Amino acid sequence: MLKGFTRNFKPLEILTEEQVESIHGGTLDVLRRTGIRFESEKALKLFEKNGCQVDYSNNRVRFPEGLVEECLRRAPSSYHVKARNPENDMIWGGNTTYFQALSGSQSIDLETWEPRTPTRKEFHDAITVLDALGNVHIVPWYTPWFGFKNVPPVMAMPEGLAARFRNSSKFICANYSMDCEVFNIEMARAVGAELRTSMAAAPPLTFYSDAVESAYRIVNAGFILLLVSGSVYGGTSPSTIAGSLITGNAEIIAGIVLAQLIKPGTRVIAQDFSFPQNMRAGSPAFGDIAISLHQAAFNQIWRKYDIPTDGGVSYPSSKKIDYQAAYEKSILSFTGALSGTNTIWIQGALYGELAFHPVMAIIDDDLVGMIGRFLEGIEVNEETMALDLINDVGPIPGHYLSKAHTRKWWNKEQFVPKVADRSTPPEWLKLGKNDCIDYAKKRYDEIISTHKVDLPLTDKQESDIERILKEAREYYKKKGLISSEEWDEYKKDLKSPNYPYE
Amino acid sequence: MNNDIFEDLKKAIKEYDTEAAASLAKKAIGEKIEPLKLLDAMTVAIREVGDGFGRGELWLPDLVGAADAMSAATPIIEEEIKRIGAKRESLGTIVVGTVFGDIHSIGKTMICTLLTAEGFKVHDLGINIKAEQFLEAIKKYNADILAMSALMTMTAPEQRKVIKFLENENLREKVKIMVGGGAITEEFSKNIGADGYDPTAPGAVKLARQLIGK
Amino acid sequence: MSRGFIRNFPAFKLLSDENIDQIHRGTLDVLQKTGVTVYNDKALKVFKNADCDVDFDSKRVKFPPGLVEECLRKAPTSFRVKARNQKHDLLLGPNNVLFFNFPGTDTVDLNTWEPRTPTEQEHIDLIKVLDALENVHFLNAYPYFGFSGGIPEVMKEIEGVALRMRNSTKVTVAIANNDIDRFTIKMAKSIGTEIFANPNTSSPLTYYTDQVNACFLAAEYDLPSMIWEGATYGGTAPASTSGAVILSNAELIPYIVLMQLLKPGARVSVANLVLAQNMGNGAPAFGEIGVSLHNVVFNQVWRRYGIPTVSSSCGPTSSKRIDFQNGYQKMMPTLLSAISGSSVLQLYSSIYGEITAHPIQAILDDDIAGMIGRFLEGVDAGDEALAIDLINEVGPIPGHYLGKAHTRKWWKKEQFAPKSADRLTYPEWLKADKKSCIEYAMDRMEKILSTHKVDPPLTEKQESDIEDILSEARSYYRENGLISDEEWDVYKKNFKI
Ligand code: B12
Repeated sequence: MLKGFTRNFKPLEILTEEQVESIHGGTLDVLRRTGIRFESEKALKLFEKNGCQVDYSNNRVRFPEGLVEECLRRAPSSYHVKARNPENDMIWGGNTTYFQALSGSQSIDLETWEPRTPTRKEFHDAITVLDALGNVHIVPWYTPWFGFKNVPPVMAMPEGLAARFRNSSKFICANYSMDCEVFNIEMARAVGAELRTSMAAAPPLTFYSDAVESAYRIVNAGFILLLVSGSVYGGTSPSTIAGSLITGNAEIIAGIVLAQLIKPGTRVIAQDFSFPQNMRAGSPAFGDIAISLHQAAFNQIWRKYDIPTDGGVSYPSSKKIDYQAAYEKSILSFTGALSGTNTIWIQGALYGELAFHPVMAIIDDDLVGMIGRFLEGIEVNEETMALDLINDVGPIPGHYLSKAHTRKWWNKEQFVPKVADRSTPPEWLKLGKNDCIDYAKKRYDEIISTHKVDLPLTDKQESDIERILKEAREYYKKKGLISSEEWDEYKKDLKSPNYPYE
Repeated sequence: MNNDIFEDLKKAIKEYDTEAAASLAKKAIGEKIEPLKLLDAMTVAIREVGDGFGRGELWLPDLVGAADAMSAATPIIEEEIKRIGAKRESLGTIVVGTVFGDIHSIGKTMICTLLTAEGFKVHDLGINIKAEQFLEAIKKYNADILAMSALMTMTAPEQRKVIKFLENENLREKVKIMVGGGAITEEFSKNIGADGYDPTAPGAVKLARQLIGK
Repeated sequence: MSRGFIRNFPAFKLLSDENIDQIHRGTLDVLQKTGVTVYNDKALKVFKNADCDVDFDSKRVKFPPGLVEECLRKAPTSFRVKARNQKHDLLLGPNNVLFFNFPGTDTVDLNTWEPRTPTEQEHIDLIKVLDALENVHFLNAYPYFGFSGGIPEVMKEIEGVALRMRNSTKVTVAIANNDIDRFTIKMAKSIGTEIFANPNTSSPLTYYTDQVNACFLAAEYDLPSMIWEGATYGGTAPASTSGAVILSNAELIPYIVLMQLLKPGARVSVANLVLAQNMGNGAPAFGEIGVSLHNVVFNQVWRRYGIPTVSSSCGPTSSKRIDFQNGYQKMMPTLLSAISGSSVLQLYSSIYGEITAHPIQAILDDDIAGMIGRFLEGVDAGDEALAIDLINEVGPIPGHYLGKAHTRKWWKKEQFAPKSADRLTYPEWLKADKKSCIEYAMDRMEKILSTHKVDPPLTEKQESDIEDILSEARSYYRENGLISDEEWDVYKKNFKI
């Protein structure tokens, strides 16, 4: 079992009780008065059967308060999740916090900082890095990248999942698109792991059929469903934090109700994935501080609902591994952790969902170590207060360096990062003025040349995965979703002597 | 008097006042003011807002707010144009949508707003739009340009599908096709046989002018 | 007046009230049982008169708990400090947060990242930048330690204060070493501003003459003081956080007792620059997260005492560059100090340790301060912000919010737009030559230096008073030998004295 980090103090709360009630009341009002649009006949019928008011002319579902509350109760507040290696199982919920890599569409060039498509080998190597990093507890969907060279877009998801299973024994996730969840479920079963998959709203207040269809499949498979709104406030939700919490929570709750109606007791997790709108470019304003406030409030409200939360918002707006990226990533992930997010995405990401780099992940792992150390808090007892020692040492020339107490405690109290520059200026000059990126690159080489996944797939699991990938390829070819040019490129790739690794 | 109503209408647009824009349009038509001139006035106003945005003084909500105010008045004026049988001069007619399987709307909404501001007649079909729906709209509105947005690598091929579909329906030659959205590149646009691509919203406007030679 | 940012939610706490009691009792125990060493006879007498147990030979003072509690009560929970320009007057208090700078001895070369002594102009430029940045509410001592050209050591900070008085109207701090505050406090008085007296502790549990004298000066001139605590835990304080907090508090309290005995109600604040020890090389472990644990507990205790706290560990990092590491090592402690109730955060301009500082760093830090400030304001959940009617009106897709009046009104209030951050999309960024935050900060610095004017400049009279005090200080240190003959020759020649 992976312990992650335990928060040993009350979470940061930024709302008053009344504010929480206002937002909750608003959410119920919207669910009851305006309701949610579900583009799915199947879902509409299920809702109707369970007492919702359904308008088939515009696919609108209006939710009675009682049903909402009952379904929120049915969802477990904390639960076990099963990884391929039982040592990497986790318990989500309560005051535990786990961290996960944060993906990006493409890799970046560390000299020019421009995005570029990764190769199959880079894809596999990056997973190895994530497997090796001590504070990466979850290797989620789209991680490390959305796909890699020569893979047709529709095959990116199944290929990515296979690569994650092959190179890591940690808890792995996969997302839905074009029915790929069918293959994902099969693969997870073949290797004896559970999956977490999202059900994403199309804000405002809408769910399209692909999300609903996938949710049915995931819930029926007995896996974990992550509900996400993903609104951009000012665009697809009100520009105020309070207003966008209302629409976002209404969407997430509607999804939870569906999941609990399909199968009571389904494990769900509520994800905060909302950003303010960048009013110049129209993109989300990644790295904006409003995200921290949104997240802290979100956590506070979902603690009341007693459902675990996930935070996927720590994207920087910076394109480089620089000062800006650091303050953006650290404040966003830290405010999440302090206010009680249970699973936080962070390692590896650069600019807004579009870039990831394993060297960034290595540096972020230190940042996570710092957050984790803070979450553990401090002990106040006779030994840590050290009154006898203080009275014994007294004023100058007394000192503490040579004391047994110091030898015992310093290492517990401090967190020593792996790739930060902690030299004095003279040492730094002597060492060649290395910075954290230089140290991280060194660690990258070290990991790639030494790290092995602790529990490799068995031959049977390996051949099952290959069989399922074949099925997927056939399926998409038949559906015409892989063009003949794409297929030609892909075929070459599949014949590589080192397939599936390069 | 006449001048006042033009100024008031412009002011309503520039103050993002949807209700005032609509009621002024009604009032003006009641007073038998030439509807085409009303449209011109609104175009001047929204272009001013667009310029403000270009200079970095105004923001997206201002731009879209002005466009909303304009769309509140436009149907009222257009009805009158139809009624009196006048002909509206616009830069051209554009059908816009995010392709099937893709629900990303923000970039698409932005280009719609800027194209409207520029003086195009824009029909925003929305998101998750199938090839058949694009085809129908092109016919219905007699479009000069089809603009498609796609943000995911998985849905980008849908643009190719739409283009093929139009070819099969013998409509490809009728419209210029421009494509964009986060998942599209210049190279991809050439590959699928689109007529133009641009990574930015202001670029989309220039491109549209270029495509129809205006 | 500068109130800085207002924290609109309860301060974040790490410990239970019971834990805080334990720490408080532990502090009283150390003060009573072991006491402290004070190398200042005047102070020993004051303590003696107040019924402390004083041993004049060993200079040891032991404090009765009643006296400690009484003096903590007498100190004000919030207070004002007067600046030369009224708009920079300060309010230190329980729910508002001010920012100032952390010094560096030297500047750095932005290409090689190596430290070097700044020129006088560079020193002035940094002051100007700090004066111009709105969220720098006052200036610390330095910001650099002197400048090139051969100023004798003892004159460096006095010359520095003169530069600050000429180039900024914000309040500043008077360090106490070698009695230099006798001159700098006089300077402040001559131009009509208050200045923070700045007594420092020496860990463990020791006080030197000149530092204690700062308290007497503060009482004489009726000045606010900022008492500095700089233990290194594992070295000069216990390695465990609770033990280190007890030691820091036991070191700060004797100064507060002294101040309140000299002048009941005296304005005092306590500055926490406690750092962990880097056990690899003996330097303080700048940027270490344990420091934040210390700081949060420290704030919790001092909030209970009702005395404003200053967090100094937000400033220094262990990175030598303005880079990713430097960014997270600044953001995390600043956030924690701010939410846990520090009244003042010492964030701006420092890079490594107390060794380097740069105006570009200050300009970048301004965005961290702005972000934290916005976070402190919290979430508005009034009817208008909740927007329930709007949500019901917009409904599901194709409804959207971009063009709504509500959006135009609210979005800027909810977001914070940093001034030197790259917030472009990839296509825009490529078009803008891949500019990053440092380059934006350079633009901003250029703009500040070409447009910012000190408001108001010193009058001729004030200028000549400052010159007089400088001459007075020079003669004083010549006489008592702190300026050697060689130093004097160079100083005289290069500065046309
Ligand atoms: C916001 C967002 C969302 C929001 C969308 C809300 C909305 N109403 O639009 C939500 C949360 C709903 C969402 C959902 C999903 N998203 Co999304 N999303 C984004 C995000 C963060 C920003 C997109 C955006 O709005 N950009 C800003 C606008 C202004 O840019 P733009 O659309 O490109 O438009 C500009 C130009 O391209 C141009 N333009 C646009 N259209 C056109 C057209 C023409 C003709 C021309 C000339 C120009 C032009 O003008 C615009 C102005 O400059 C991106 C990541 C990123 N940073 O880009 C991911 C991203 C696009 N999403 C992604 C994914 C995978 C998804 C989901 C599948 C995730 C999930 N399952 O949870 C679902 C999609 C479901 C579906 N079926 O579509 C991926 C796509 C990856 C890939 N390689 O395919 C991205 C890249 C993120 C990632 N790496 O994971 N998403």
